Amino acid sequence: MTAPLLAVENLRVTFALPDDPHTAIRAVDGVSFDLAAGQSLAIVGETGSGKTTLARALLGLHPAGAVAGNIRLDGRELTALDEQGWRPIRWRRIALAVQNAGTAFDPVQRAGDQIAEPLREHLGLSGSDAWARALDLAGEMGLGERHLRSYPHQLSGGEKQRLMLAMALSCAPDILIVDEPTSGQDMLTRAKMLALLDRVRQDTGISLLLISHDLAAVARLADRVAVLYAGKLAEVGPARDVLQRPRHPYTWGLLNAYPNMSTARDLRGVRGGLPDPAHPPAGCRFHPRCTQAVDECRRVDPPLQPVRDRLVACHLGGLQTLLRVDRIAKTFSLNGNGFRVEAVRDASLDVLEGEVVAVIGETGSGKTTLGRLVAGMLDPESGAIAFREQDVSDLSGAALKSVRRQVQLIPQDPFDTVSPRLTVAEIVREPLDVQRIGAPADRVAAVREALAAVGLPDGDSFLTRRPHELSGGQLQRVVIARALVLEPKLIVADEPVSMLDASEQAKLINLLKDIQNERGMGLLLISHDVALVRKVADRIVVMRDGAIVESGPASRVVTRPQHAYTRALLGAAPSFDWFEDPGPASGA
Amino acid sequence: MKSRFALTLLSLWAVLTLNFLLPRWLPGDPLAALLDPDSSSYVYNAEVRGALEAYYGLDRPLGEQYAGYLTGALSGDLGRSIRLNQPVTDLLREHLPWTLLLTLSALIAASLLGVIAGSEAAWRRRSPVDRALVVVSVVASNAPVFFTGMILLILFGVELRWLPLAGGRTPFARYDNTLAQVRDYGAHLLLPALTLTLALVGSKFLLVRNSVIGVLGEDFMLVARAKGLPPRRLKRNHALRNAIVPFVHHLAAHAAFAITGALFIETLFQYPGMGRLIFESVVARDYPVIQGVFLVVSVLVLGANLLADWLTARLDPRTQEN
Amino acid sequence: MQITLPQAARAVRRPHAPAAIRRLAASLGGEGVIGLALLGAFAIVGIAAPLLAPYDPADFSGAPLERPSAGHRLGTNDVGQDILSELIVGARISLAVAIGAAGGAVLLGLLVGGVAGYAGGWLDTALMRLVDVMMALPQLPLLILVTALLGAGLGQMALVFAALFWPGMARVIRAQVLSLRRRGYVAQARSFGAGPVYILRRHILPAIGPLIVFGLVTAAGRAVVFEAGLAFLGLGDPTAKSWGLMMRYALNLPGLLLTDRWLWWLLPPGLCITLLILALNLLGIGLENHLDPRLKRP
Repeated sequence: MTAPLLAVENLRVTFALPDDPHTAIRAVDGVSFDLAAGQSLAIVGETGSGKTTLARALLGLHPAGAVAGNIRLDGRELTALDEQGWRPIRWRRIALAVQNAGTAFDPVQRAGDQIAEPLREHLGLSGSDAWARALDLAGEMGLGERHLRSYPHQLSGGEKQRLMLAMALSCAPDILIVDEPTSGQDMLTRAKMLALLDRVRQDTGISLLLISHDLAAVARLADRVAVLYAGKLAEVGPARDVLQRPRHPYTWGLLNAYPNMSTARDLRGVRGGLPDPAHPPAGCRFHPRCTQAVDECRRVDPPLQPVRDRLVACHLGGLQTLLRVDRIAKTFSLNGNGFRVEAVRDASLDVLEGEVVAVIGETGSGKTTLGRLVAGMLDPESGAIAFREQDVSDLSGAALKSVRRQVQLIPQDPFDTVSPRLTVAEIVREPLDVQRIGAPADRVAAVREALAAVGLPDGDSFLTRRPHELSGGQLQRVVIARALVLEPKLIVADEPVSMLDASEQAKLINLLKDIQNERGMGLLLISHDVALVRKVADRIVVMRDGAIVESGPASRVVTRPQHAYTRALLGAAPSFDWFEDPGPASGA
Repeated sequence: MKSRFALTLLSLWAVLTLNFLLPRWLPGDPLAALLDPDSSSYVYNAEVRGALEAYYGLDRPLGEQYAGYLTGALSGDLGRSIRLNQPVTDLLREHLPWTLLLTLSALIAASLLGVIAGSEAAWRRRSPVDRALVVVSVVASNAPVFFTGMILLILFGVELRWLPLAGGRTPFARYDNTLAQVRDYGAHLLLPALTLTLALVGSKFLLVRNSVIGVLGEDFMLVARAKGLPPRRLKRNHALRNAIVPFVHHLAAHAAFAITGALFIETLFQYPGMGRLIFESVVARDYPVIQGVFLVVSVLVLGANLLADWLTARLDPRTQEN
Repeated sequence: MQITLPQAARAVRRPHAPAAIRRLAASLGGEGVIGLALLGAFAIVGIAAPLLAPYDPADFSGAPLERPSAGHRLGTNDVGQDILSELIVGARISLAVAIGAAGGAVLLGLLVGGVAGYAGGWLDTALMRLVDVMMALPQLPLLILVTALLGAGLGQMALVFAALFWPGMARVIRAQVLSLRRRGYVAQARSFGAGPVYILRRHILPAIGPLIVFGLVTAAGRAVVFEAGLAFLGLGDPTAKSWGLMMRYALNLPGLLLTDRWLWWLLPPGLCITLLILALNLLGIGLENHLDPRLKRP
């Protein structure tokens, strides 16, 4: 492999706080990546993750002494350069298109002069030659002399953006850094900008370093993606793979928060917020927001290391596979006459941390059996069930008990699974009593907390009620609270809302998703209701006659079903297609 | 620009009208007192008293007085000085050049110093030099001009005896050539101009420094640096070019302040400008002269305002359209 | 409930100290604190002047033109009055004019600015034109003319200052009133059923309060400058010997600068004026840095 055009190694950018010079902020902390000629790399992350700081470091724009590590351009070390040494690199080799084109131009000089300026500086062109070249560049962007002669305030936002691109490309640099090319734009302007960048890339073969939190733009323009979190890279890999199957929990969270047209699922933000840059958390910087953090994450900063096709900075190798079901089967004998029903045949599926996998199918398709197998209430006849990469059948004693505790089932009919004689408090604390967890007082506190988490009153009067005094929705919440007291990592919910009316259904399904977002866990949602599960499911598994006939990302399964049975299920799902004129009654 | 011009005309009218109304409306009837033999400010010189009666025309109806005043003022008749028995216009013509010389030379010096020091300090902000300059500027621009003037006068005029103590030129001097004349005028100008420069430079320095710092934080400065431009070009073509707009805009306010300062300084250094004139007129309650000075200074300040606006518009393309 | 780390960290780093003083210092910045301290010192001297002054400054307590001695720390003036006593009592006069002028200017500014902002329409246009014209006029020559015609009493002087200084305040107040009207929270509060007293107390005053303080401080600073200047030009109130008037009288002595007499007669009042103006302007800078940036002086 030839040396990359740009090689960044262990780059660190450190600032002193302006009003507190003794507190250092490390905005970029040990970032390494390569950019090959003609390649396009996207750096994504939330606002404040250090993306822009990183981009400016590549042009030597930080104060002297702020940047450490290596930046090599064609093998030449740049970090050691002084201001004078950087000048021939800037714009001639690496150019920058800043985030806001509106402020990129000096307001008191004509746009054309500002495009011509670097041409005169770097290429030594005369004033008229530089102007002519600027005119060519503007022409390529669909603009002309009039625009060059205008002052910035006389130009529209779109024109300024195109001229900024013309300015950035004026000296035909090897690398173009584009900082947030689409932020704050309406969808049509954004689409034009992306098309323009795409064309520039194809026409010039320039290397593109795209700084963005716009994941769709990244998917369109980038070959590779580097995810930056609090100054450190969390995940680096091929753009499509990273965006389709994120490994790092942060990438996963970003994707869940990104609004797009390819899913009907609701948006979820990454819980918590970016750490204070002056006082980053010890260990993995993402651990306070990570739902699968273990003790090591709090102590040791994970290095960026290869995990299959990409690099991930996570002690657990990225999102954990909480559940792996591998070709399991279960048959029941009917009436003892030797006639056997294959309830589940050869079924395989995975549930990752934070993921909602929905199993859909009609009654009798074997989905409840699959759920009970996963929950450990039944044993498979063949195949294996692994929880957190550990085969459950290998476990016994305390280890098995711990797994049982971490997998909880929410049954279809709440009335069936609670004793009518117990109080709410007794119902919810039953698992704790059974597993002998905590002192009795702690258990009461845990009960109250679980009840509050599911939106129920946690006062004494409610704690002493009995099931017949509760509504269906309340009882189902009590059952969910009972599942939560053990702090499970995987919840198997078997038609958790099918007994409820539509309004209660909506509230409960959102509650489940909220709880998952906050606490982190896998959710295996068993349902016959496609319309409902597509609002929360990441992936959908379709079962028929005990076998899985189709599985895939929820959006794909819903919009482009492969199997005839899936199409039939979807066709039968409720829909308001026959409305001619949508919109609620005006009430006038 | 058009509205600015209208505002200038409106202000000019306000100045004229105030000048007309104030002596007539303020309590105590100061004008009547001039003509009242029982009053302490009675003008004994009959010729002057006659001129005053004619100029103010207090016995005529107010509208007629106003019309007479306006036509007189616009045609250059500002009455006669009580003290010197000379037309006010002649007195103004005699003193105005000195004030203009002092004010303009101090304004130019302070502007140059302020722009250079201000932009350099901005580039080196938070450095010891910058901090020191800021402190000195704040103190210098807060000291009353007559106080700084006195200190300079004592230091350079009395203690060191480098420069003449007072006046605009050596009395009764005859000059062999123009150079000698310029040297004499310059030597007399130096201390007053230095005093005024000191009073003006602080705020100019701070203004330029803060505007340049503001400009340095702008995106386009980052882009200009990213373009690989040499520091000289960054400073001059981008940073200063932008920072100069608010500076020029403030020149007008500075001009008013400079003229005000000049009035004090002339009093202190007995410089033969309008400040000296106004001081002597105040002592003698020579109302027509005070009114005349007020009018002329107002016209100067309004003109400076207009000029600054016009320059700002020329420098900042953003203001041209609206 | 999860406490985010930054909050926790900050809570640890900033220990509980004299909270009110710390908050004030933080909101004023270094300049503001120095200005406030200086101003406080002058205010104390001004209030306690009769106690601090060794003599009645009007008394002829010594021989004329005495040099500094134990009896007269700053010597005596040309008629034998104690200069130190004059200086101490002079603080009162400067401060009194400043307070009167600033208070009047702010009241007028509030009135005109408030009316213009609330009424809008032609009244607003007319009042703002008036403000534009007033701000375009050169103030010192106008002051000289008015004071020369009117005669100089301290009260009159404060009134004239107030009449000249209100336009800047009016402009700022109008802008703030307009911005308050535009912003949603007043309308929102009204929609919750809030009465005018509540809105004034909860929304208007907090928004206008800092502007009033800033306006007071800047107007006071200018009043001190102009009072000293007018006194220096001989237009001061001869019955109230301010620092400016002290300098005027000192300079009236022929050849004062040729002896070292200026050291105790001229320099102290000059320094006092400078320090008082500096104090007010530093406080103004401190306040300005923490005002709504959109309402800063142009």
